[in-house]
Amino acid sequence: MKTILLSLTLAATLFVACNNVGSEKKLADSTTSVSNEGSTPAKTVSNILGDYLEIKNALTKDNDADAASAATKLAGSLQGFDKTALNADQTKVYNDIEADAIEHAEHIASNKGNLVHQREHFETLSAEMYELVKVMGAGQKLYYTNCPMYNKNKGANWLSESKEVSNPYLGQAMLTCGTVKEELN
Amino acid sequence: MNRIKKGSMIVLAIFVLIQFFQPARNRSSEVSKAGIATVIRVPSEVQAILQNSCYDCHSNNTRYPWYAVLQPGAWWLASHIKEGKAELNFDEFGEYSKRRQRSKLKSIQGSIEDKSMPLPSYKAVHREADLSQTDQKLLNEWLEGALNEISN
Repeated sequence: MKTILLSLTLAATLFVACNNVGSEKKLADSTTSVSNEGSTPAKTVSNILGDYLEIKNALTKDNDADAASAATKLAGSLQGFDKTALNADQTKVYNDIEADAIEHAEHIASNKGNLVHQREHFETLSAEMYELVKVMGAGQKLYYTNCPMYNKNKGANWLSESKEVSNPYLGQAMLTCGTVKEELN
Repeated sequence: MNRIKKGSMIVLAIFVLIQFFQPARNRSSEVSKAGIATVIRVPSEVQAILQNSCYDCHSNNTRYPWYAVLQPGAWWLASHIKEGKAELNFDEFGEYSKRRQRSKLKSIQGSIEDKSMPLPSYKAVHREADLSQTDQKLLNEWLEGALNEISN
C-alpha cells in the first residue's frame, strides 16, 4: 500500500510541477482585476507614483522583498489606469510607456533575492516615470535626482518625494550619493 | 515484495502513459517577417552566436535533441520555451515598440554580464551554448551599436 501511495504522490508531483507556470500567471491576473475597480483617473496617477516611490524607498533600504511587493502593486496600478481622461499627448506617452513599464514592474516583483536585477529594471522604470510625470504632472512635489556612480559610472536617475538624497541604486552602501537635477510639481 | 512490485508497475504504467501526451513543438517553417534583423543590423557572426546560444528558447524554432520526446522532460522543456519566448522572441523583435526593443537589448546586456543567460541547466546539456569571452565581447559591441541605432 505504502509503495502505491508513494508512486501516486510522485506522479502527482510531476503533474503539479509541470502546471505551476500557468497557475502563477492566473494569480497575477486576478490581483490586477481587483485593483481595476472603482478608480478615478487622478487617483490612479497618484497610485502609480505612490507604488513607484514605495519601490524606490524599499531599494534605498536594500529591501528586495518590499520592492517586489510594491512592484506587484505598481503593475496592477498601471494596468488599471483609466486613460479616458487623458488628452492626445498624454495618451500617446502613456501608450508608449505602459507595456514596457508593466514589464519592468513584473521583473522587479519576480526578482526577490536579486537586488542587482531589480535595480537594473528600476533604472528604466525611473526614466519612464519621469516622462510620465513630465506630461501628466505629478500632483505633488518631486525631485529628479541623479546618481553618477551607478552602472560603472554610467549614472542613473530616479524620482524622489524628498529633497534629501536617499540612493535607491547603491542603497545602504552609499545612501547619500547623488544630486537633485530638477524639481517637479 | 509483492507490494514493491505493484508499486513499480504503477510507476512504469504512468511513465508509459504520459509518453502519449506530447506538448506541441516549437517549430515554424515560415520565415519570420518581424525578426530582429528587420529592425537592427545583425552581422553574421552575431547571428551565429544568437542562433547557437539563444534561439532554442527565444525564437520560433527550437532544435530538439532526440531525448526531448521523453516525458515528463518534454513538458519541462516546453514550459521553458514558452516562458523564454514570452520574455523575448527574436523572431518577433520587430513587433515590439522602440521602447521595448531598447529595454530588451539592455536586458540582454544585463543577462550576459551577470551570466544568468544562457540558463545553467541549458548549458549543462548544451556545452556549446556557453558564451566564450570573444562571444561576449562581440555581443556587447553589437548591443551598444544596436542601442544607438534604435534611439536615432
